[in-house]
Amino acid sequence: MPDAMRFDTSLIPARLRASVIGAIALFCWAGLSLPSVAESATAPLPDLVAHGKYVFGAAGGCGCHTEPKRTLNAGGRKYDGPFGTVYSTNITPDRQTGIGAWTDEQIITAIRLGRRLNGERLIPVHPYTVFNGMAAEDLRALVAYLRTVPPVNRPNQPKKITVPLFESVFLPAWLAAFAPKETPPASAPTSGLARGEYLVRAVSHCGECHTPRGVTQATDNSRFLAGNPNGPENSRVPNITPDKDTGLTWSEEEIAEYLETGNKPDGDVAGGLMGEVIEGTSAGYKDLTKADRLAIARYLKTVPPIRNKIGK
Amino acid sequence: MKRYPNLRTAIVIGCLATLVVIRFAAAQSGPKVMSGDVVADRQRLMKLNGASWADAQTKFKAGNIEAIAVNAETMAVLAQHIPALFPQGSLTEKSNAKPEIWQKWAEFESAAKNMQVWAEKLRDTAKTKDAAATEAVIKDFGRQACGSCHTPFRVPPRT
Repeated sequence: MPDAMRFDTSLIPARLRASVIGAIALFCWAGLSLPSVAESATAPLPDLVAHGKYVFGAAGGCGCHTEPKRTLNAGGRKYDGPFGTVYSTNITPDRQTGIGAWTDEQIITAIRLGRRLNGERLIPVHPYTVFNGMAAEDLRALVAYLRTVPPVNRPNQPKKITVPLFESVFLPAWLAAFAPKETPPASAPTSGLARGEYLVRAVSHCGECHTPRGVTQATDNSRFLAGNPNGPENSRVPNITPDKDTGLTWSEEEIAEYLETGNKPDGDVAGGLMGEVIEGTSAGYKDLTKADRLAIARYLKTVPPIRNKIGK
Repeated sequence: MKRYPNLRTAIVIGCLATLVVIRFAAAQSGPKVMSGDVVADRQRLMKLNGASWADAQTKFKAGNIEAIAVNAETMAVLAQHIPALFPQGSLTEKSNAKPEIWQKWAEFESAAKNMQVWAEKLRDTAKTKDAAATEAVIKDFGRQACGSCHTPFRVPPRT
């Protein structure tokens, strides 16, 4: 190195030299520490992940995103609707085909508001019209859990919309006119009827199957939980209002037990989609605490009884 | 015998034919277990299964652990008859069977076998009178033994 370019440190006052050396040492220490700081920012706390898995179970294990007996959250499940056919998406943290490259806020926006990264509307087979009633803390925890599931590289299957102008005209109009809008609580209720209502209406999205739909395919919330003879996947979904002739007449304990074990008081056992959400995927209704299952049962006893016989 | 090759063949064929006739006659004259309406028969079997399961749970709640074994044995035996009660195409308006049963027959048979295995596990655990161990089996039994078949293969009941 030429002398002209050599930096003579002896020219620097000793105190300043010590400060510079200290600053460099501090910088190096900070630099070395940076990865762990970054890790703590991206690696969610175990409690948050555990809570997220609990929320995931309370949502029935988000089973729409897992084909039966296939890889968790890898999508591909087919749903036929009056608008065409859609396939559930890969919500594993795979960066190419899943949600690995999405920010937490982008994922929460998709869950609650049904918007993709590009602003495109999700078809409301994904029940964002009720998930928008979920508390922010639960959604953050849910996202933290979703990021811990093993990533799967599985491209999403394209939807087949058969109704012209469905997404550009009909869907926005439908959402504006008919879609139920829940109001998220400031924080998730932790006990009592409020807890039961929060779980039934938002997280566990019971009304999506148990509430009849009108000609617009919007849930008819004037008959909330009154059963649906034309439920998802051609199922006939029971009336779970407390109507004594056509509704759910089990005791609170029996309802709570059913949500854990699938066992009905008469010895029958849940099957179909209800069996799926009780069993869940990596978690399901069966993993709810007894307090939460009882909260659901108690809330169900308070909804207006509606006479609506489903099937035979 | 070389002088009567045709006689030997005739005797062998005659014996075989007699055996077939006897076997057929025995089958016809034996006790008739089923009604002939296979859908009604399997629904009766499932009702019996459900009643056995409900009774097992009642016994558990009453602390009568060992007595659960007989219910479990009933369910284990019944489970062995399930596949035979679902002959190809036996779908009627009264049936809650899904066509997937015959599309995924090996899975269906496996689900019936799974029911038998769980019931035998419950039987053997109950015989030990160990309430905690029995509770652990009972807690999962509905979902694992019954639900794993109901979910993919049965149209859910309407009530």
